[in-house]
Amino acid sequence: MANTESLENVVLELRRGVIVLAALSQLGLPEYGYSLLKKLADLGLDVDQGTLYPLLRRLETQGLLESVWKLEEARPRRYYVISAEGKKLLPKMKKEWAGIVSVMDKMLS
Amino acid sequence: MNLIDRYVAEVGKNLPLLNGREDIEKELKSTLEDMLEDRAQSSGRKRDEALEIEVLKEYGSPQKVAATYNPHPYLIGPKMFPLYLFVLKIVLTVVVSVMLVLAGVQAVTDTPFMGADFVKIIGQGLGSALSAAIAAFGNVTLVFVILERVLPEKEIGGFNDEKDWDPASLAKEPDPDSVSRTELIFEIVFTFVALAILNVYPQWLGMFFFTENEQVFIPMFTEMFFQFVPWINVVLVSEILLDIYLLRNAIWSRLTRLGKVVIEAASLTLTVLIVRTPGIIAFSAESLANGPFPPEQAEVFVTIATYMFPIIMAIVIIIQSVELVKAVYRLFKMRSETK
Repeated sequence: MANTESLENVVLELRRGVIVLAALSQLGLPEYGYSLLKKLADLGLDVDQGTLYPLLRRLETQGLLESVWKLEEARPRRYYVISAEGKKLLPKMKKEWAGIVSVMDKMLS
Repeated sequence: MNLIDRYVAEVGKNLPLLNGREDIEKELKSTLEDMLEDRAQSSGRKRDEALEIEVLKEYGSPQKVAATYNPHPYLIGPKMFPLYLFVLKIVLTVVVSVMLVLAGVQAVTDTPFMGADFVKIIGQGLGSALSAAIAAFGNVTLVFVILERVLPEKEIGGFNDEKDWDPASLAKEPDPDSVSRTELIFEIVFTFVALAILNVYPQWLGMFFFTENEQVFIPMFTEMFFQFVPWINVVLVSEILLDIYLLRNAIWSRLTRLGKVVIEAASLTLTVLIVRTPGIIAFSAESLANGPFPPEQAEVFVTIATYMFPIIMAIVIIIQSVELVKAVYRLFKMRSETK
């Protein structure tokens, strides 16, 4: 029981660490919150809604994303897209990620 | 108002007070509508209250959802916490000590030793020390909760300022010239209490005796003693001023060491002068023997009056002499080191 809980916590922490990179990488084109959630899930990354939506707002506050409200199908939706600053940062983040993957591969193989 | 609107409004109520509450509510509503539409399509069900309940249950309680938008989940954040603990320890120690000392002074001066009133005053003193400690805890916490929310992020650094921290400081031996802040704060508080008793509550310097129908006060000192009060004040005020100066500078200098020597020498001289002045103690064998209590009790007090005062004064003189020698030693050690 305790082991399952620990494993869940570790997995949650690992996922939390990659959500920023995952979200930025998938916001080259505008997406609204729910569509991004589905897109990430389709690609195999299940993200908790309570984590993703506040995170998008935080990334916007930090200047890495931009957002705009659009009226579609009789309801407004907030679309997020990567900002110029986010675009500058993304390659660096990808490089960091590649470094981490390579180090961890060496450790775990 | 449908279920979704009620849910969104409930989340809004629980959101922290920040700009963009309306925006968050609007986005949440839009997301829930998307979820409902998606769920209805994929399951082939119609959008009804049962489906809304299912989706809302999955989304989580309004309180939990609101909490995810809270940028300040802490009452006092981890950066501010060490400073909070540091201040809290000092404030609680000082407040509780002062309350206990005041209760002790009151118990000793206002009641016969170990009587029912003595125990009662001690009990009341412990009670007030506890309530003062709780009030101090609440006030310090409140101040830090406000600081946590008002100070900009950079200012909160406090003890955890990584850039300013120099590992070389670990290698040094403890600096003999650095001051102990806690010690200084204690000294200031107790010197202040002594000043207040001497000047505002001189009537505490004595003993109250309660008999069945009267209350008799026997002062400890005669008028002769009170002639020294202005000089005692000068010494005590100088002590407080020196302590405040040290508290601000955090390090002893030659000038402050010299000041300490002068103050210690002055207080020792004053004590010796007071002890050598005849007729200074009103609390004598004679006054007690004529007191309003049974002869066997009077005898005990006569013994106390005859022996205790010289013993106490001898201890005070010894302590003051040691303090003076320490102050002189530190002054000269400092001079020889700087040569």
